[in-house]
Amino acid sequence: MARYFFNVRQHPGPEGLAHDLEGDELQDSAKAREHALTVARDLIARTRLDSVRDWFDCSFEITDQEGQPVMTVPFGDTVLDEPEDGEG
Amino acid sequence: MSQIQQASIQNRLLRALTSDDFSRLQPHLETMTSQLREDLIEAGEPIKELYFPEVGFASIVIDGLAQKIEVGLVGREGLVGAAPLLLGTDCTPQQSFIQMAGTLLRIDAGVLRIAAQESTSLRTLLLRYIHTQMIQASLTIYAHAALKLESRLARWLLMCHDRVDGDELVLTHEFLAMMLGVQRAGVTLALQNLEGAGRIQGRRKRIRILDRDKLLQLVNGSYGAAEAEYARLIGGA
Repeated sequence: MARYFFNVRQHPGPEGLAHDLEGDELQDSAKAREHALTVARDLIARTRLDSVRDWFDCSFEITDQEGQPVMTVPFGDTVLDEPEDGEG
Repeated sequence: MSQIQQASIQNRLLRALTSDDFSRLQPHLETMTSQLREDLIEAGEPIKELYFPEVGFASIVIDGLAQKIEVGLVGREGLVGAAPLLLGTDCTPQQSFIQMAGTLLRIDAGVLRIAAQESTSLRTLLLRYIHTQMIQASLTIYAHAALKLESRLARWLLMCHDRVDGDELVLTHEFLAMMLGVQRAGVTLALQNLEGAGRIQGRRKRIRILDRDKLLQLVNGSYGAAEAEYARLIGGA
């Protein structure tokens, strides 16, 4: 298990990043991506924020315990990751 | 047993009691410290004791749903367990647990039930408190249905601020997310927005209220009515 931090990028630059100070314990980076997509789907489906006009402009910039980037997960990937026939 | 003096009590309900009613309860009040996440009332379990918060506050949630959402906040203005007891039942599907640790005055449920049967003024005061809880809950419904997350967050921060001393709230984003029924990332974004406008200052596990008036500008009527009813029916701070 490792702790992953799910920072949300709305705009370029330091002001455009909302830092996740708490993080979540997950098994590995694949699970972290899965978690990011689950959270993104829920945000898109039912959370309205003044400061977010379009969730599809956002992405998770996932970092590890040392603050090193692990991966970026655009909210748009929630659409790409829908299961399709014949693909794993 | 230590004799608790009414004048030295923080709890606003106890302070609002007539001296006769306070005398009824006083010998049965027992000071206890509360721990973060401690269950005060468990869903479906017989309610044996009720709790007047002195410092800190408790959350009421409905147990057993896919998602826990806070439906009530009880601090030093209130009594944990008031609604089921006064409305004639000894258990409830709601769970009450400590969200900010502090101290409580505990009282036996049977003792309080009998005291409320015997004293009209005590019963009326407690029923009026329950009325304010219902107003709080109805505005929670309004906030969930009609308001954006920044507004709902501003409302909850004001409600928490009312129930602590000072301007600093010890709250994780995870806890706020649970209270508001959203993902933690949503809370983080909303807090960033409030912080950018100088309403609050956020640090790890801490939120400092910088400008209450600016928070009040966001609440769109979801905050204030329950507090006004409390002031009208029970009294000031």
